[in-house]
Amino acid sequence: METKFTLNQRYKIICFGLIIIGIAAFVYGYLTNPTEAWANLLLNNYYFLSIAIGASFFMALQYITQSGWSAMFKRVPEAMSSFIPVAAIVMLLIFFGMDHLYHWAHHGAAETDPVIAHKAPYLNIPFFFIRIVIYFSLWMVLTHLLRKFSIQEDLEGGLKYFEKSELYSKIYIFLLGFTFSLASFDWIMSLDVHWFSNIFALKMFVTGFYHGVAMLALIVILLHERGHYKELNSSHMMDFSRYIFMLSILWGYFFFAQFMLIWFSNIPEETIYYAKMWNNGWKALFYVNIVLNWFLPFMILMSKKADRNRQIVKWVAIILIFGQWIDMYIHIFPAITITPVFGFIEIGAFLGFAGLFALVFGYTLSKAAMIPANHPYLEESLYHHVE
Amino acid sequence: MQNMTIIGVFDDEQKFVSAMEDLKANSITIKEVYTPYPIHDVFHLLERKTRFTYAAFLYGVAAVIGVLGFLYYTSVIDWPLNFGGKPTNAFPSFIVITIILTILSITILSLFTFSIVARVYPGKTPKMPDIRSTDDKFVMVVDRHSSASAMLKENGATEVYEKEVEYL
Repeated sequence: METKFTLNQRYKIICFGLIIIGIAAFVYGYLTNPTEAWANLLLNNYYFLSIAIGASFFMALQYITQSGWSAMFKRVPEAMSSFIPVAAIVMLLIFFGMDHLYHWAHHGAAETDPVIAHKAPYLNIPFFFIRIVIYFSLWMVLTHLLRKFSIQEDLEGGLKYFEKSELYSKIYIFLLGFTFSLASFDWIMSLDVHWFSNIFALKMFVTGFYHGVAMLALIVILLHERGHYKELNSSHMMDFSRYIFMLSILWGYFFFAQFMLIWFSNIPEETIYYAKMWNNGWKALFYVNIVLNWFLPFMILMSKKADRNRQIVKWVAIILIFGQWIDMYIHIFPAITITPVFGFIEIGAFLGFAGLFALVFGYTLSKAAMIPANHPYLEESLYHHVE
Repeated sequence: MQNMTIIGVFDDEQKFVSAMEDLKANSITIKEVYTPYPIHDVFHLLERKTRFTYAAFLYGVAAVIGVLGFLYYTSVIDWPLNFGGKPTNAFPSFIVITIILTILSITILSLFTFSIVARVYPGKTPKMPDIRSTDDKFVMVVDRHSSASAMLKENGATEVYEKEVEYL
């Protein structure tokens, strides 16, 4: 079988370098503009968490649909979802920045504001952190179990672990649908405590799944270019781009569904959300978001020739990395600052989290064989061929 | 006798495909195939190219422009009405109608394009060399060539016969 992925010195040094840049950016931000620093911490942590969640959802989806094509590189989504425990620690650190980020967490906010008083039984600091612990422990336990079964399967073989994985995937998807919705309400929607949207959770979930798959495709392509996964062919590429193409439509659909209902009903407490996005220099980003996350992937991957081309899929995934950042930025920052800000703190924080993600990912990937030895659909994946 | 061809009838998809591969390797022209259901390998072996998807895309672009133009004409130029203080050119509310009508236009125009190109219309008598290809047989029409019959039989054709097929 294929050799293991080795974490070489250069990879580690680059990752640690990026993490140091990230820490420096956060400390610099903390001293000059603490609100912005905390917002960046939340943004980037949520960014990579949603990618990890998206990858783990992809993995669970492959089990319950018994998909064969992805069996070869299922260690990659497993390694991506190992970022969840790290994200849990960073999310708990938000405790020290609650005052900067969340208006409802201000001392005495509930006394003067009837809306916050009404929401106080749900939105209060102790319950907020109890929920964080519940969400993360569920995700961590279930992704850990899936990972464990996968490694046990390598050692023992047989269908037992595959069937177990399928069962736990069903449980995971069910719980994830519920907990991730609440999590996106808690972390992102409550930044603007007076505003609410029921479709918000779906949109955030699709965003995570969409960009998780794009990142997964990018990582698999990069590993292929470094000499791993030699069996990767145009049929795998087509399946990846089908996912990306389908999710770009779904993303656009949810984006538009939320926007149009709010635009059309024109109720001030709802439109405030888009009013913020359309004034003070945010409007360009609003359109860039649509172009990067829906228009470009949709148009580029429409052609049959393009969606089998590895280079094109790779560049679409790279576009989506920026797209996801802008999508998160435009969700979080209008509640924090009046005009868009971009500088060392934003770049540094993103690089820092990227380094952290890459380090955790590489470390987990190097722990097990790149290609699972006894997956029942392995052969189908190695010789995957559609038309 | 210009249009005299050899007809091979098969029971099995795999044998049918391998016969096609054999004939192609010996550069004998396969004029047409008739199968009970679509087979990917056959499509590749026949090397047929289709520009149908480009046509569908063009219809889509035309439909988007047409529908948006129509909505703009009706709600802005011809009969402006005030709906809850919205601008008369309410672009976001046009999008849903545009999507639906674009899908409808592509479907209908594609149907007509296909009918015209393939010369299929309601009430047409099917033209096929062996009617059993609508049931469970795989039929191919091959150019008359000295070794073609033998090659078909070798690959497991249940019947091989000659027939005049003038419409190919």
